[in-house]
Amino acid sequence: MVFDTLVAEFPFLLRGLWIGIQLLAALLALGFVLGITLAVMSVYGHWSLRLFAVVFERIFRGIPEIVLLLLFFYGIGELLPLSPFVAAVLALGLRSTAYQAQIFRGSIQSVAGGEVMAARALGMSRLGAIWHIVLPQALRRSIGPWTNEYSAELKATSLAYVIGVVELTRQASYIVSNLQGNTLTVFAVVAAMYFVVNRLGNAGLYALERRLTIPGFEGRGAES
Amino acid sequence: MLEFIEFGKTWMPFLLEGVGVTLGLWVVAMVLGFCLALLLVWGRVYAAKPIYLFATAYVEVFRGTPMLVQLFFIYLGLPEIGIVLAPFTAAAVAIGLNTAAYQAEYFRGAIQSLPAGQMVAARAMGMSRFQALRDIILPQAGRRVIPQWSNEAIVELKYTSIAYAIGLTELTARAEQVGYQTFQFLEAFTLVAIIYLVLTGIVAQSLDFLERKTRIPGLTYTGGKME
Amino acid sequence: MSDNPILSVRDVRKTYGGVEVLKGVSFDLERGQSKIVIGPSGTGKSTLLRCINLLSPPDSGNVVLDGVTVEERGINQIRAQIGFVFQEFNLFTHLRVLDNVRLAQRNVLGRSKQEATRRAMEELERVGLSDKLEAYPAELSGGQKQRASIARALAMDPKLILFDEPTSALDPELTGEVVQVMKDLANAGMTMLVVSHEMGFARAAADEVIFMEGGVIVEQGPPSTLFTCPEHARTSQFLRMISHEHQEA
Ligand SMILES: Nc1ncnc2c1ncn2[C@@H]1O[C@H](COP(=O)(O)OP(=O)(O)O)[C@@H](O)[C@H]1O
Ligand SMILES: [Mg+2]
Repeated sequence: MVFDTLVAEFPFLLRGLWIGIQLLAALLALGFVLGITLAVMSVYGHWSLRLFAVVFERIFRGIPEIVLLLLFFYGIGELLPLSPFVAAVLALGLRSTAYQAQIFRGSIQSVAGGEVMAARALGMSRLGAIWHIVLPQALRRSIGPWTNEYSAELKATSLAYVIGVVELTRQASYIVSNLQGNTLTVFAVVAAMYFVVNRLGNAGLYALERRLTIPGFEGRGAES
Repeated sequence: MLEFIEFGKTWMPFLLEGVGVTLGLWVVAMVLGFCLALLLVWGRVYAAKPIYLFATAYVEVFRGTPMLVQLFFIYLGLPEIGIVLAPFTAAAVAIGLNTAAYQAEYFRGAIQSLPAGQMVAARAMGMSRFQALRDIILPQAGRRVIPQWSNEAIVELKYTSIAYAIGLTELTARAEQVGYQTFQFLEAFTLVAIIYLVLTGIVAQSLDFLERKTRIPGLTYTGGKME
Repeated sequence: MSDNPILSVRDVRKTYGGVEVLKGVSFDLERGQSKIVIGPSGTGKSTLLRCINLLSPPDSGNVVLDGVTVEERGINQIRAQIGFVFQEFNLFTHLRVLDNVRLAQRNVLGRSKQEATRRAMEELERVGLSDKLEAYPAELSGGQKQRASIARALAMDPKLILFDEPTSALDPELTGEVVQVMKDLANAGMTMLVVSHEMGFARAAADEVIFMEGGVIVEQGPPSTLFTCPEHARTSQFLRMISHEHQEA
C-alpha cells in the first residue's frame, strides 16, 4: 500500500528534484561568476571596491534565506514582477555570491605574492598575471570549501518552497496533502533524495579536486 | 525615504513583538542543540563502536538533508504516530536536532585538534579520564570552538525564520502580515531584513567579545567555517 | 642490590603491531638513586617509561613500586606517586603556571587550595620560576616550560620521577638551565630515571647508566666505567656517535 503510492507518486518527486537541481545550478553559477568578480575586485581593486564587497557580504550573510526569498519575490516583485524561480535564483544566488566571494578571496590571498611579482617581471600585465597565475591556483584551492557551499545551497533550494517554486519539498507537500497520510514516509524519501544528491555532488567534487591536484600543492585532497 | 521612515514608525512596534518569539525559539533550540551535541561528541570521540556508529549516522543524516524537510517530518509527519507538537515546539525541536549535528562536529574538531600530550600528561599525573576531560580537554576545546560556535549560533538565529513555514507568528510571519495589510511588501520585508541584520550583528559582536575575554595565549583558533 | 628498591622492573615485554619493542627488560632503582638510560632512537626507551606507570600497559612482566605491584586497579593513586616529565613539556595550555602546578594536587591528592598553593610556590621557587606564576605556558621559553613541568611533577611529592628526553625539544642554549635543575634534584636525593643523551648530567649526577638497544638492556654500570671502558662493542660505537653529534651541535 505504502509502496504502491510511492511508486505512483515518485515521478512527481523526480520532477521536483529536477527543478531543485536546475535552481541549484543557476544560483551556484550566478554566485560563482559574481563571487569571483567580487573577490578579485576586493583583493586587487580600489579600497572603495573592498568596502563594497564587505558591505555586500555583511548584508547577504546577515539576512535569513527565507526573508531574502520573500523580499525578492513579493518585494522586488512589486516593481518588477519575477517568476518564483527567477526570484529564487536571484535571492539565493546573491546570497551565494557573498559566501563564494569569501571562499575565493581566501584562496586568492593564499597564493604566494612572489609568483605575481615573477609574472610581472616577465612582462605580464597585472590582469594577465591574475588570470594566468593566480586564478588557476586559487580555483584549485577553492574546491574544498566550495564543496561545503554546494551542500549548503542544495539544502537551501528547499526554502524556495515558501515562494511557490515547485521543487522537491513543495512536490512532497502536495503529495502529502493529496494523500492524507504517509507523511512520514514521503518526507523520509524526500530526505533520502536530498541526501543522495548531496553525496553524489560531494563525491564528484572530491574527484575533481584529486584530478586537479598538482605535486607540491597542498590541496585538501592531496595524496602525497 | 521619508515614506519608508513613516512606514517604519508605524509598523516597527508590531514587528518587534515578533522578536521575542524569534529569540525565544533561538535560545531554546540552541540550548537543546548544545546538550545533544555534547552527547553526540561523546559518542563520536569516546564511546564504544555501536554508539559511535549511531552518533555518526545522526550527524550525517541531519547535515545531509534540508532543515525544512526535517521540520515537516516533525510537524506534519509525527502526528501520524500520535506525536502532535505545537508549531513553536516543533520548530524548536527541529532546529535543536539540526544544530546539534553541526555543533557536535565543531566540538569534535576542537577536541581532536588538541595535542594528544594534554590528555597523556593529565593521566600521567593520576587524573581519571573524567577529571582529564572536565579539567583539561573541555576548557581547552571550549575556547577553541567559540568562533565556530558563534557562527553556528548566527546561522541558527537566521534559521528560526523557517518556523514561518509552519505558521508560527515569529518575525518573518509578522512581516508578511504587514505586507498583506498594507500591500507594501518591499517595505515590510526590508524592515524585517534590517531587524535581522541588527540582531545578527549584536549577537556577532557579543560572541566576539566573549571570545576576546576568554582568549588565552597559545589557544587561539585558526581555521574557518563555511556556512 | 638491596632488599627493597623503590622501583623494580621485571622482565617487561611490549609488542606494537606484531613488533616486539621491549624484549624483557629488568632493573632496579634504589631510593635516592639516579639512573640515566641511553640508546639509539626507536629502541624502546620511551615505551619503557610508559610501561612503568601503565600509560602503555606491558604485555607481560611486572613493575613494583615501593613494594606495591603496579596494576590497573588503583592506577591513578600510583601514577600520582610517579612524576613524569615529557620531551614536549605538555603543560596544560589553558592554565597559568601556578594552576598547572596546583591542579593535580587538588583533584588527585585532594589537597586544600592553600596547601596546593604553598607546595606549588615552593617548587616553582626551587626551579627559579617564582616570577612566572601568572604566565601562560605560551608566554614561556622552552627552558622555562620544562622547568615548570618539573615543578609540576615535584609538587605531587612523587617517590620517583621519570624524565623522557627532557632537553631534546630545547634550543641548545636553553638545555643548561634544565640540566642544572635536574642535577640539583639528583644531589638533593630525588630518585630519578632519566632518558637523555645529556653527557653533562650523566657524568655529574647519574649513579648508573643503562645502555639499551633493540628492546633490551645491553649493559649497565656506573658512568665512570661504562663511559671509559664499556664491555660491548655496540656501546662504545654508540658513545662515539653521540659524542660526535654533540661536537657538531
Ligand atoms: N603507540 C605506539 N604504537 C605503535 N608503535 C609504537 C608506539 N609507541 C612506540 N612505538 C614504536 O615502538 C618503537 C620504540 O619507540 P620508543 O619507545 O618511542 O623509542 P625511543 O624512545 O627509544 O626512541 C618504535 O619503533 C616506535 O615506532
Ligand atoms: Mg623516545
